[in-house]
Amino acid sequence: MKSAWGWFLLTPPLVLALVFFVVPLVYLFWVSLHASSTSELYGAALTLRNYTDVLGDSFYLTIVRRTLGVAAVILGLCLVIGYPVAYFVALLPVRRRMLAILLLLFPLMVSNVVRAYGWVSLLERRGVVNTTLRDLHLIDAPLDLLYTPSAVVIALMTILLPYMVISIANTLAALDRRYQEAAQALGASPLRTFLHVTLPLSTPGVASGTLLVFLLTLSAYVTITLLGGPRSKLLVSLIYDSVTAFQWPRAAALAFVLLALALAFTGLILALLRPGRVQGAAR
Amino acid sequence: MKVELTAGPMLRGAATIVAFALIVVPIVIVVVAAFSPNDYFQFPPPGLSIRWFVEFFGLQTMRSAFALSIELALASATIATILGTFAALFLARRHGAIAALLQSLFLAPLVFPTIILGVALLLLYKTIGMPVFPGLLLAHCVVGLPYGFRTVLASAQALDPALEEAGQSLGADPLRTLFLVTLPLIWPGVLSGWLFAFIVSFGELNTALFLTGPGVTTLPIEIFSYLQFQGSQLVIAAASSVQIALIVILVAVIERVVGIARITRAR
Repeated sequence: MKSAWGWFLLTPPLVLALVFFVVPLVYLFWVSLHASSTSELYGAALTLRNYTDVLGDSFYLTIVRRTLGVAAVILGLCLVIGYPVAYFVALLPVRRRMLAILLLLFPLMVSNVVRAYGWVSLLERRGVVNTTLRDLHLIDAPLDLLYTPSAVVIALMTILLPYMVISIANTLAALDRRYQEAAQALGASPLRTFLHVTLPLSTPGVASGTLLVFLLTLSAYVTITLLGGPRSKLLVSLIYDSVTAFQWPRAAALAFVLLALALAFTGLILALLRPGRVQGAAR
Repeated sequence: MKVELTAGPMLRGAATIVAFALIVVPIVIVVVAAFSPNDYFQFPPPGLSIRWFVEFFGLQTMRSAFALSIELALASATIATILGTFAALFLARRHGAIAALLQSLFLAPLVFPTIILGVALLLLYKTIGMPVFPGLLLAHCVVGLPYGFRTVLASAQALDPALEEAGQSLGADPLRTLFLVTLPLIWPGVLSGWLFAFIVSFGELNTALFLTGPGVTTLPIEIFSYLQFQGSQLVIAAASSVQIALIVILVAVIERVVGIARITRAR
């Protein structure tokens, strides 16, 4: 009786997760191991060529390097700006802290296409930035701000920044203040207290913020396309282009290259920051 | 020493102002632009007008994309929350390796690069001949499942097991216990899970990018293709403002019904 009820509860969500999440990914991997075909979705012959082609082609490697470069800059900016902001938010009284976090959460609920469009209307040739600069007589001709890697970095960084701030702020707010008080009572300067007590204790928040920002940067196709244009393509743009060209095995292989980058980075962050060693971090 | 003490808070305050400006300004600009009376957005705006909203609701493609997004979000949030509630009730009192594995499986779409899921589902759908709307609906159910699951799991784990045991020892079968004891107690978790799943579906891009078809498009994808192929015109600002307005209403509903604390902890 009890186990029948258990199966009744488990079966529907498990079927959804297996059939529409696990199975498609296994199938995508299977397709990535096949030759391309002009008449079918994929050819009959098993091959590793899709992967060796991508990893041996300097065009693809340039794009992979650019993707990692853009992600690294976005991540660095999110950490440098996000940490002090999180510190500020964490020190607010409870009610105001919740309001600040709500103000950070709200933009995350607005579709990324809307937020990217906001940046387009700021940066385009007849956009707010250019017209304001011209009205102030600082420039004569409009600047080409849009369709550059910097536009992608600025827009994506601000779109993802709330994730970093919220992750770190939640960890900092949950910290036991007595740790910092103990360090200061023992004569540590504020800077030393920060470096040796607060910063290490906040690694779980830093790790989860870092992972969220990096993983979401990798698949942010719409933002990258609207702000980067055709010249600043990243790995995710190549996946989309391969799909629209019906090159299914190529698209599948590129998707798994992206997934491999995501997994490698996740492993690296977990090994470097070891968020699990901070007690009470498992939240 | 004194410099050090004041430099820290000042730096944090300055960073906070800059960060909030960078996060909020692009959204505010969109809303202000939507009320422009001119063909092009001027800042500061010379006046106010609702002509772009009239144009938005006058465009058949925009109207049907908006309607489809609402239908999709309603249906997928409901399915995802029901299935997420099932999964949460199953896992709330179970421990061990298999329970941990199942929990990671149900939470995985939260951090998994959804663009890969979009390609994978498109390929699967092409192979089995899945029609557009059900395919899109199922994709949004997968993406929404973690939100329903996570908030209900937190509520179910906070529940005193003695309450359910009392119901069962008084002769109620599991289904009666669920409806008469468990659900009334975890109701705020279920509701906020549903609202989050709705919001996520309503703004979702990465699977819809691949799974929408001719005539079956969601509002975010319609905005994206309009921007790509017809340029940034102010009707897009109106469409975006409609999106933003709906989120504002939903956040206000969550705040009224389950309180601000649950929203800020739900992510």
